[in-house]
Amino acid sequence: MCRLGIYLVCNYPDREGFLRAVELCNRYGVDFLEIGLPFSDPTADGDVIEKASMEVLKRYRMADFLDSTKQARRIFNGRLYIMTYANIVFSYGIDRFAGDFGFIDGLILADVPYRESNRFKKPLSKKGIGFVYFATPESRQEELERLKRDANDFIYFVSIRGTTGGEFRLDDETKRKIEFLKGAKHKVILGFGIRNKQDIENACRYADGVVIGTAAVEAMRGDFETFLLSLRG
Amino acid sequence: MKGYYGQYGGQFVAETLIPALDELEEAFKAFKKNKAAKEELNRYLKDYAGRPTPLYLAKNLSNQLNINIYLKREDLLHSGAHKINNTLGQIILAKFMGKKRIIAETGAGQHGVATATAAALMGLECVIYMGEKDAERQRPNLLRMKLLGAEVRIVKKGSRTLKSAINEALRDWVKNIRTTHYLIGSVVGPYPFPQIVAYFQSVIGREARKQILSKQKSLPDAVIACVGGGSNAIGIFSGFLKDKTVKLYGVEAGGEGLELGKHSAALTKGRPGIMHGALSYLLQDDDGQVSLVHSISAGLDYPGVGPVHSFLKDSGRVKYGVCFDDEALEAFKMLSQLEGIIPALESSHALGYLIKNKEDFARKTVIVNLSGRGDKDLPILEGIYV
Repeated sequence: MCRLGIYLVCNYPDREGFLRAVELCNRYGVDFLEIGLPFSDPTADGDVIEKASMEVLKRYRMADFLDSTKQARRIFNGRLYIMTYANIVFSYGIDRFAGDFGFIDGLILADVPYRESNRFKKPLSKKGIGFVYFATPESRQEELERLKRDANDFIYFVSIRGTTGGEFRLDDETKRKIEFLKGAKHKVILGFGIRNKQDIENACRYADGVVIGTAAVEAMRGDFETFLLSLRG
Repeated sequence: MKGYYGQYGGQFVAETLIPALDELEEAFKAFKKNKAAKEELNRYLKDYAGRPTPLYLAKNLSNQLNINIYLKREDLLHSGAHKINNTLGQIILAKFMGKKRIIAETGAGQHGVATATAAALMGLECVIYMGEKDAERQRPNLLRMKLLGAEVRIVKKGSRTLKSAINEALRDWVKNIRTTHYLIGSVVGPYPFPQIVAYFQSVIGREARKQILSKQKSLPDAVIACVGGGSNAIGIFSGFLKDKTVKLYGVEAGGEGLELGKHSAALTKGRPGIMHGALSYLLQDDDGQVSLVHSISAGLDYPGVGPVHSFLKDSGRVKYGVCFDDEALEAFKMLSQLEGIIPALESSHALGYLIKNKEDFARKTVIVNLSGRGDKDLPILEGIYV
């Protein structure tokens, strides 16, 4: 069964709109949520998510994001992850972050590769928060082997060389890498560039699930319910 | 730990970039052992860039301030600043790795011009990212890059300065990782960039040490350099780091004052944080959002600093201070009119620090790294002096 994850920018377009989207994700059986905590310099994000993040930062602070994420946890029954950048957690204090956000299932840091993850991973694991590793089309065999050994509940496979919101495609080499990672205790989830039902079907021929970011953030401003329904068909 | 200076440095980038950083590290190690590549670089530094640069005793300024002042004349280099040392080095390194395309970011434009220059020389495709605000205030350099055949992509989002240009260059690099070398212009970014840039800039310090010993028969009492990312500073400091009698001063941009948002003095007013691939001192708010910064000098208008400087600050080996916009302008005017040398606004900060602390340096021998020339700053200065 292919899992569907949705990425939402926290408090975008506003707190009410964000929580409504969380509620809809719960109602329509989304398997997991990634909540993006905005950062001023989001180098991994494409234009749509970057713009949404900048809008949110004009109106909300970290305390608001914590509050809204707690609320999202109460609403949403599936697994819940935070996706953000290293400095947001580092500046907050990694131990303090692990304490205050102890209710989430995992943390995804776009600018923390495997080799820099230890300082984050240890304090988080004490609170039962998994650290999510990335695999990419550029990952080498020894890195894939390490990931397969150390991964928590899922490996985030960045499907394309680029930022979020690019065009989804998988070359043969990438398909082989996904295949290699599958079959262990964790799931392999494909992200970056997946926008619609067709992309999901294509991705799920290879991976255990997908996460949709840019298209979801675009839909948060419009008819989010119709968007969700369009994904399941 | 590999890639760290004390607790600072690291490789905080998208996982996609890690193999490219490893490839770069390996190539750099091989480059340093490769006699032919090093000879090629030295030949270009000498015959093309104009090394060694003079160490000039600025008599008029010295008399005025009662300090024995030497200027390390990086402003005399081809393309107008110390940046060419690093770009020639990295271009040869990129060729060594078989890369066909070069990308770079630029603030003041000096690094962009130096990159476009070296890329033209070696026949490589070159794309430069520049913030819209910087493109306006450093127009001569924008034109120079275009004339040199580079494609300049103006970044119209974020702060529209160096910080935004780096964000876009990083995005480009992730997309084009297999064909492209990202030619970082300062001792910032993920390892091994800080080490590579420091290596290519260390020629400044090696020359300066030899020259002062030849002229004075003794080491200087102090060396002063401006610090944005910190490449010219680490370049000259590296020649004197082991000489404990030589005091080293790094000068950051105090801008209009030391309130957050009005300056870019990361070491003076920042705290450790992670941006653009490294853990280093960073200007940020309580939530870890990177601050907007200000300096009259586009080359210093950056909220972070190279990790090696963070380490040197904590270790106490280098003293870091600030020079405000108006003090830099005063220094700019003074050097222009006393010595007939128009300095870059970046370098004017180093001079401004010397001038405002002249009592502390009285009768001492001081080397100031004149990292670049001021032609590029004319659009900024036009409104002030004309």
